[in-house]
Amino acid sequence: MMSNYFSKFNHVISNFLDGVDKGENYKHFRLMLYGAMFIIFFVPLLLATGLSSLEHKKLLAVREQEQLKASVEGAQKTIGAFIHELQSVVRFVSREYSYEELLDQNNASELFAHLKNQYPGFVDFGVIGPSGIQKVYAGPFRLEGYDYSEQDWYTKVLVRQLYISDVFMGYRKLPHFVIAVSNKLPGNEEYWVLRLSIDYETLQNYVATVSTSAIQDIFLVNNKGLLQTRSNIFGEILEPCPFYTHYKQGETIANVDEYKGIKYLRSYVQINDSPWMVVMLKESYMHGENWSSFRFRLRMIFFGCTVLALVVIVQLVNTITNRLREADEKQNQALTEAQFTNKFASIGRLAAGVAHEINNPLAIIDQKAGLMTDLLEFSEEFDHKGKLTKSVESILDAVQRCKVITHRLLGFARRMDVTFEHIDISDLLREVLGFLEQEALYNRIRFELSFAEDLPMVFSDRGQLQQIFLNIINNAIDAIGKDGLITLSADLHDEENIDVNIQDTGPGMSSEIVKRIFDPFFTTKELGKGTGLGLSITYGLAQKLGGNITVESKVGEGTIFTVRLPINDTRKEGNFNE
Amino acid sequence: MSEIKVLIVDDEVEFAEALAERLELRGFQLETVDCGRDGLAALSTGALPDVILLDLKMPDMSGFEVLVEVKEKHPSIEVIMLTGHGAVSGGIDSMERGAFDFIMKPVDLDELMEKIKLAYDKRSSTD
Repeated sequence: MMSNYFSKFNHVISNFLDGVDKGENYKHFRLMLYGAMFIIFFVPLLLATGLSSLEHKKLLAVREQEQLKASVEGAQKTIGAFIHELQSVVRFVSREYSYEELLDQNNASELFAHLKNQYPGFVDFGVIGPSGIQKVYAGPFRLEGYDYSEQDWYTKVLVRQLYISDVFMGYRKLPHFVIAVSNKLPGNEEYWVLRLSIDYETLQNYVATVSTSAIQDIFLVNNKGLLQTRSNIFGEILEPCPFYTHYKQGETIANVDEYKGIKYLRSYVQINDSPWMVVMLKESYMHGENWSSFRFRLRMIFFGCTVLALVVIVQLVNTITNRLREADEKQNQALTEAQFTNKFASIGRLAAGVAHEINNPLAIIDQKAGLMTDLLEFSEEFDHKGKLTKSVESILDAVQRCKVITHRLLGFARRMDVTFEHIDISDLLREVLGFLEQEALYNRIRFELSFAEDLPMVFSDRGQLQQIFLNIINNAIDAIGKDGLITLSADLHDEENIDVNIQDTGPGMSSEIVKRIFDPFFTTKELGKGTGLGLSITYGLAQKLGGNITVESKVGEGTIFTVRLPINDTRKEGNFNE
Repeated sequence: MSEIKVLIVDDEVEFAEALAERLELRGFQLETVDCGRDGLAALSTGALPDVILLDLKMPDMSGFEVLVEVKEKHPSIEVIMLTGHGAVSGGIDSMERGAFDFIMKPVDLDELMEKIKLAYDKRSSTD
């Protein structure tokens, strides 16, 4: 696909350089340039924006997860330490006091009062005998004699020796949890149990202390998926948590979950030696307002750059194409001008050659006929002398006409040489008309001459001036077609310039045509009849000679060309061709 | 006025002879040669001409070359260049090399005679 594109591009470029079908090629070249520029601008821009956005997102996600994991692990350690402290208290009591000492209600109440003073979260205190019946109770409820032998936690504490329960309602109908230890009675295989109940609010308050403003929610959940502390998002204690997942012990998990249309980053970890898992939820930055705002800004920057790039590309492509077109047109113009000049030079050389070749035999005819006249003059009268004399005179007249023609041809050839000289403009104009009078005669076009008296000589180039006037008068003849008048006048414009006006009675031109009349390749003549360069070159010549040409025209009335020429052009011949 | 001696050097023999004959009819003393070398040889043998009519383009030696030699050996002889070529530069160049004047073919006999006489007058005044 790409190779096809490039081969097409190369084809267009090579056609363009070869000059084949240039108008169409400018269009193709422009399109190709647009394509190339778009690719050069947009592919890197798109890649840079897209990749940086993706990388940034990835980096942020990893960092956010790591941060949340670190926070949840911090909370795990803190809450774990608190629970461990409670366990230590219960173990300490069971070791320091014997079963018999604790069966004394007074001792138990005193001990509980001490503990309550130290840990206000303790709700009550109980000593359960080997049969599972609570023997002693200290606390706000009347729970002496309650049978716990059928309770799940009682069995577990007998097996594990230390047990921490989930938060539950129990006989108290208030959420709390239990820490219990079992101890062997001395001398037999029976166990008594020391049990401490702790208000869930203690746990709740403790969890609240590890919360920060950076997170939306922190709570504990048990392995049955029930909330063990209040959740800002999922509700009250003992309600099921929809995010509950089975997890591996010791592993910290972080992932994204959606709840009620909001994406949360969630991290959770098991708290050691407890039935709880600590869960932290944080609104994902990736799905939050800040990220949306960041993406919006990024898009705006992208579109801003795109618009800017488009403007630059359009300007750049237009400038490049226009420069190419201008360079191409200049090259064409220079080429055609050179061809035009060469054509003139060739005609000049041909004319000079023909004139020279004719002049020599003409000189012989002239002298021979002259000699015949001389001889006739000095001879006696004889038959037909008069007729013979007239015939010879006719020959001499014809030679004279030929001489005028050859001299004119040589004059035309001479104008190929660039030389500055003092020129009588009226003579020069008459000389130019000499070339055109036959054509004018055939087309019934008259010339009227009106030259101011005492016109100063002009220091200029004869050949170039001849070409200027020849072109303009030729155009006037073409414009008139048949039957018309061309008026040539010359007068002093100011002290430094003279004006030569060439006025025709042709059809005239609209102002739009007049504006473009000196443009290269502009022609109103039929296809193939004009190169559109004559007046362009003429204008260039007038400028080179230090003058200028202006045009006035009215449709239906005719046209006036005014050639203004400096009287004393200070430029030297050497500078002329610069 | 004694006869003015004119030497015509021109490879166009028909032209030279007809012109010579016409000038003779008008009282000039004429000699014609058809190349530059013969022209220079003519100067070393007989009486020197007063004026030379010298064609600019000839096959063996160009009019310029003949002119330069004539002016070197006989600076008092006046030379009028004849040319069928219209380039003014040729005439100007020959005048810079010492030609008295130049005249374009086909020549006007009256104009030519006038120039021959002026050349002769100049030669006489410098003798």
